[in-house]
Amino acid sequence: MRAGVFLCQCGGNISGVLELDDLAAQARALDGVVSVAIEQFLCGTQGHDLIARAVEDRGLDHLVVAACSPRFQGPTFERIARDLRLGENAVSFANVREGCSFIHRDEPVLAQEKAARIVRAAVARAHRQADLPRARTFLHRTALVVGGGIAGMTAAEELAGAGIEVHLVERSPSLGGYMARLAKTFPTEDCAMCSLAPRLTTTALEPHVHVHALTEVDAISGPPGEFRVTLRHEARHVTEACVSCGECESVCPVSYANDFDFGVASRHAIGRPFANAVPAAFHIDRGGWSPCKSACALHTSAQGYVALVAAGRFDEAYRVAAAPNPFPSVCGRVCTRLCEAACARGDVDEPLAIAALKRFVADEVGATQTPTPAPVVHEERVAVVGGGPAGLTAARDLAELGYATTVFEAQPVAGGMLRTGIPDYRLPHATVQREVEQVLARGVELRLGQRAGVDFTVDELFAQGYGAVYLATGLPRSAEVDLPGVELRGVQRAVELLREINLGRPVSVGARMVVIGGGDVALDAARSAIRLQVAAGREPDVTLVYRRTMVEMPANAGELAEARDEGLKVELLVAPVAIEGAAGAVAGVTLARCALGAPDESGRREPLPIEDSRFTLAADGVIFAVGQAMVADFLTGCEGVRVENDQILVARDTGMTDRPGVFAGGDAAATGYLTVVEAIAAGRRAAAAIHNHLRGETLLPVWPDQQAMAQPGDERLAAVVGKRRVPQALADGAARRGDWREVAAGYTAEQAVAEAGRCLACAGCADCGSCVRACPSGAVDLDERPWTEEITVGAVIVATGHQEFDARRKPALGFGRLRNVVTQSQLARLLAAAGPTAGEVTRPSDGAPARRIFMLQCVGSRDCQSSGNEHCSAVCCLFATLHASLLKQHYPDAEITIAYTDMRTPGKSHEEYYRLVQSRGVRYVRGRIGELVEEPDERLRVRFEDTVTAAKYEELFDLVVLSAGLEASDGTRQIAQVAGLQTGAAGFIKEYHPKLAPVDTQRTGMFVCGTAQGPKNIPDSIAQAKAAAARAVAMLSSGFVLTPAQVASSDTTVCIGCGVCVSSCPQSAVALSGGVAHAVVDANICRGCGICAADCPSGAMQLGGFSDAEILAEVTV
Amino acid sequence: MRLPAQVDRVTPDASAVPAVASRAAERRRAIVAFCCRECAYAAADASANARTPLPPTVRLVLLPCTGRVSPLHLLEALAGDADGVMVAGCLEGQCHYREGNFNALDRVLFVQRVLASVGVEPERVRMFTMSAGEPPRFAAAVREMDRAVAALPPLSRS
Repeated sequence: MRAGVFLCQCGGNISGVLELDDLAAQARALDGVVSVAIEQFLCGTQGHDLIARAVEDRGLDHLVVAACSPRFQGPTFERIARDLRLGENAVSFANVREGCSFIHRDEPVLAQEKAARIVRAAVARAHRQADLPRARTFLHRTALVVGGGIAGMTAAEELAGAGIEVHLVERSPSLGGYMARLAKTFPTEDCAMCSLAPRLTTTALEPHVHVHALTEVDAISGPPGEFRVTLRHEARHVTEACVSCGECESVCPVSYANDFDFGVASRHAIGRPFANAVPAAFHIDRGGWSPCKSACALHTSAQGYVALVAAGRFDEAYRVAAAPNPFPSVCGRVCTRLCEAACARGDVDEPLAIAALKRFVADEVGATQTPTPAPVVHEERVAVVGGGPAGLTAARDLAELGYATTVFEAQPVAGGMLRTGIPDYRLPHATVQREVEQVLARGVELRLGQRAGVDFTVDELFAQGYGAVYLATGLPRSAEVDLPGVELRGVQRAVELLREINLGRPVSVGARMVVIGGGDVALDAARSAIRLQVAAGREPDVTLVYRRTMVEMPANAGELAEARDEGLKVELLVAPVAIEGAAGAVAGVTLARCALGAPDESGRREPLPIEDSRFTLAADGVIFAVGQAMVADFLTGCEGVRVENDQILVARDTGMTDRPGVFAGGDAAATGYLTVVEAIAAGRRAAAAIHNHLRGETLLPVWPDQQAMAQPGDERLAAVVGKRRVPQALADGAARRGDWREVAAGYTAEQAVAEAGRCLACAGCADCGSCVRACPSGAVDLDERPWTEEITVGAVIVATGHQEFDARRKPALGFGRLRNVVTQSQLARLLAAAGPTAGEVTRPSDGAPARRIFMLQCVGSRDCQSSGNEHCSAVCCLFATLHASLLKQHYPDAEITIAYTDMRTPGKSHEEYYRLVQSRGVRYVRGRIGELVEEPDERLRVRFEDTVTAAKYEELFDLVVLSAGLEASDGTRQIAQVAGLQTGAAGFIKEYHPKLAPVDTQRTGMFVCGTAQGPKNIPDSIAQAKAAAARAVAMLSSGFVLTPAQVASSDTTVCIGCGVCVSSCPQSAVALSGGVAHAVVDANICRGCGICAADCPSGAMQLGGFSDAEILAEVTV
Repeated sequence: MRLPAQVDRVTPDASAVPAVASRAAERRRAIVAFCCRECAYAAADASANARTPLPPTVRLVLLPCTGRVSPLHLLEALAGDADGVMVAGCLEGQCHYREGNFNALDRVLFVQRVLASVGVEPERVRMFTMSAGEPPRFAAAVREMDRAVAALPPLSRS
């Protein structure tokens, strides 16, 4: 070390008490000191020159300044050292003025000793001082403001005024925040929107402010001055061509509670939050796919057609139902209805009768449709083998894509299992025929009586010039049964029996039938057998035997109930052992009772026969309905196609077999359940895959992109008034079993509209397409997807605001349960002149005038219970006072009582306003509610006490308004996580220091303002916004920033990775990282307190400029 | 927030300054005072600017925050030639680095227990709090520390 010791006389302040020559002599003798000088005023220009010359002449690398307190002129000498290229931490201070000469004037001898010691300590420290690194970051003159409420807009405008580019990000469709939802503001009773609207306009027009609505901040990384931000833009689904005419909104069939109005009014899926929204374009609230749409194999927009039915728009409903599905009348009768199983209404009372509604529109509107042939635009022809739902659907789609398509069907009628499997009473032949003909009318050629492998082969089809073949041959025969006695006369197979019945051929069944099986086919066979017995003049006697229980039974529970009504007997938990014969014919069925054991490979519990439990049912006929199997004729003359386990092998993503150009789907190459809707979905995928194959490129997605499922939240479900499903009429069981008429009558128009009205509109927009057609500017884009964008900003201001305390956390107050209990925010929407009721306040339960009103303060605030927040929400006393004043002016005869804990009205004019409103006749009572009970007429009986007079009251009110407090909004919690900001109680962003730095956060370059930082009123939010903007401007004005020198850092060769520093740091500036964990300090967050260094057990962590070596050198000299 | 178990609060008492004459006869004492820059050192500077006389036994060591003080520093100071060590920081809840003074108090208490366990008077290490706007509190703390340490027998070292 080559240190220079500089002693300052300080004009006598020091030299008047201490002998500097003596100190100089002692200093010269110290190790490492190569220069000593005395100067009258070391901090002045002469002192500066002295130091500069000494550094130059003597080659100094350290300065020891013996002068005043380092808190006084420390920065001066440190800057001199930097200017002289001595680096950081090159100055050591001997405080011989405030530390010695000032305070020991009467004891010069001891003062001299002490001063010498102080100088020695400073020199010892200098030996240990090392240069400290500082990183330089260029400051981008851009800022990110998160949150577009009054605070965010104010900050953005201030920043723009300073010439800084601003990205103003807002997650909702429009700027405005909470203030846009208020009626009036206190104490002036100015209309909130009137005050806000000019600000909205100026923000929109300000060229330096880039407004990003419907945008989220997904990630922030990097140092201050160079924050890298990922913005995610959600789909608005409305382009800039929108002129806000509102045509779309008037045709939207979906209606649900409007969040903007806090649920007191409803909205359509497409719309605008308020009239002067910025940006002005409309927006579609699309939460994803509704549960019904997600569950359906075709992803039919069920919510869409249900909403249109509820609006009485049956034609449009049919169009939505039939868009993905050429067999809506069929599915409306026989589908397995996974949509209904998923329906969110099922969590409240009963799922929507979605299938019945589909049947209604398909029968009502579909029957009148007369499709015309689609034009053939491609030269390739496609052959479809199999005229069932999979084949016919593929044929329809291919015809619509412009291919000449031929369907080859082995049976004398088309329709597959729809026609030959399901009986008339469940699915009338005429219905199937009609929908088949509507498919054919699109230009599909049908050839009946053509069996592949017998009447033609697949190889021949290609030879004839077909470009592709789709095998949709299904599983058209019964599975093999291996049971003693199957060869006896009277044993039939369900699939074959039903085919004969459905083709009108003569069949017969015995007088006592046993049907073995538990699926829909078994029930079809059993009920058909009942009808055949009745037609033969006998009492029906059919027993269904099934080896598991009702729980595992695949058949539709409704079907089973109908069958029982028709006289079906059911034996559960019995398995067939043998069929008994007499003279070669069936005489009975021996069964063993079973108990359910562990699950087998199908996942269902295995039925295990019980010892010695066999019994024989007398019977003269048995029908087996235990599964279906393939008819593999088509493999003859079908080179290259492989079958395994009764399934054609295909590539899952295209449905193509091993032979190029040959595709397969439906029951014969199943990718899901063996149901009608799955077959239709397979047909649609096949058409897309064949189109891609023939065109040589992927033009259509084969498997549609599945979107996230939207579900109504718990609060929406809790608000639903229970109403069970509208039942369909059913003819009496004994009567209807005598013939084959359709059993389920379907809905009338009134019933359909009533049932459709139960829909909860889970996804908001239901993809019905009405707005697309209605928009005169073509501005609706349902296919728009979210997109992300990376930007770089120098500073971030968080202005993400608050939300109202959820008053349902106080169940005794009845919010969410009692209709006439509302919150102040809801009342604000009712009072707002531009709100849903144009300022009329009525009782929510019945619309009657609300004249006796009770307001309760401090709901969820000043609350030490875990269901509330401890803080005072700052604005509620005045919020209630304001609303009471507005009500009194609107309804002079209204009687308003405000029950308060304290009336807190700080701030300019607020106390005066409170007194004014009191003088208007609003009654203020100091007390809380003892009990709140709903009367039969839905008025509220409130018991409360006036703690000032000790009087107790019990009174009836039309309306109770809860002053629910303020909490951090979801957006605030979210941005705190993304940006790494600390939050305090109730989720508000923690300011760096509550007194001295209220808009700074613990992260350099990130600031907070408005109610995101804590509850406050509008003028205070605006003031904080301007403060935060000023901080950002100050930071960004310097061009570049250096990380501080006084930050902690860890020596990785010594660090043991214990992590104590991570938990000690109050700023969360330290993290463990690396394969062998060691501490890493983020120099942009570290504030230089040194707590981590003091806690570090290994001594790896040191504070720049205050290392253990430096401190101990000074202390132990 | 953790609440401190015990922090010495000293009120200013002008009469506590010992007379000059008696000091010359005293045994030389050395007390090291770790002071945080924001409050204690600021109070020290302000007290000095007011020319408030203080016993010359106390030498100040500047730290950004008392949170930087580790038990190592306190014990090394005593192992050197300090007869007493004081840690002076911001008032509770007002630490400019949020909570460094609570950490410092924990360590002071820890060192007191260590000292007691080896037979050294625990009151040789003490913590005082004050605000930058209370120079008399700093002065009073220094005098109190000096008085207390003066009353103790010499610390034996080997």
